[in-house]
Amino acid sequence: MTWEGQVGLDSEVVRLRRGDPDALAALLARYQNRLYRYLLRMVHEPPDAEDLFQQTWVRVAEKILQFDPRRNFEPWLFALARNLAIDHLRRIRPASLDEPAGDESGDTKAERLVSRERSVLYGILERERTGRLAGALEALPVFYREVLTLRFEEEMKLEEISQVLEIPLSTVKTRLRRALERMRETLEAHHPEEDWSRSVN
Amino acid sequence: MDAHDKIRELLGLAVAGALGAEEEKRIEKHVASCASCAAELESWRALAGGLRRLPTPQPGKLVVERARAQFEMRLAEEIESRGQRRTMIFLLAFAWVVTLASWPLFRIFTGGLLVWFDPRFNQTWLVFAAFTGLLWATGGLAAVLLGRHRQQERRTA
Repeated sequence: MTWEGQVGLDSEVVRLRRGDPDALAALLARYQNRLYRYLLRMVHEPPDAEDLFQQTWVRVAEKILQFDPRRNFEPWLFALARNLAIDHLRRIRPASLDEPAGDESGDTKAERLVSRERSVLYGILERERTGRLAGALEALPVFYREVLTLRFEEEMKLEEISQVLEIPLSTVKTRLRRALERMRETLEAHHPEEDWSRSVN
Repeated sequence: MDAHDKIRELLGLAVAGALGAEEEKRIEKHVASCASCAAELESWRALAGGLRRLPTPQPGKLVVERARAQFEMRLAEEIESRGQRRTMIFLLAFAWVVTLASWPLFRIFTGGLLVWFDPRFNQTWLVFAAFTGLLWATGGLAAVLLGRHRQQERRTA
């Protein structure tokens, strides 16, 4: 985030603590898509993600008065969302929260990967390719999925990811490496015909 | 594990921007002279690029509006509750100040009157306890009545 962006965010958070509705509108506009995307990556199901999205903002309202404005708001917000998502997953799919071993390779949701059908149109090919990437991401265990989405989609720094996940920086790096390796293994196993070194545009 | 293998292991982290400047330089140097690692790095880059460009799903307008409404309601409750807590702490402190400050006045004005009614009242601690108890009981009763009144107001609102 740029310096101007951070300053703007700080003042929005301070105004939000005073109950300013404009500040809420600004923060919602800034984070609604990113937060929803993160939650959706965590829980897969749009209705669940929508529910958790609303719960997250309620939780923000409950905690914002105790929030120290000198802290970084973004990791705090995502950590709140993550805790709610983890609680939700613990209720509905406790097994999905098992910490994956480094060398395991079972991909139970591989069948969900998108159609192998080839199209002559480049655009369709690219969409398929993107769909395969999304499918492979979805097939990863939650601990790998979240670290990838925070790093590559949310573009968070490793230190911020460490704050959101409440794990040491070294563990963030290990998870990132394993997550990327697992993702690549999944893609290569299910789509060996695809040249994954070609950039997606 | 030789230098080549070590570098190869780091390529995934390199595209994730998770390496220090020194390690990145080592990779850069190695990749310049190793075609296999250069191709491998390209694969990782493509994967990272693909992840960065995944489409962003968006929440429905209704969901966002509902979140906004719930947030505003909850924040208003929190602000009110915080205000009430502050008022409570202030009143508690104020009540103690009044209790302690009014004690000498109470003694002056009642003089030996209480002792005349009951000789046990010449024990200062007992009188002070009775005096404090009376004040706090009155305050407590007022707080309960106010609380009930407020609850009724909320129900009718």
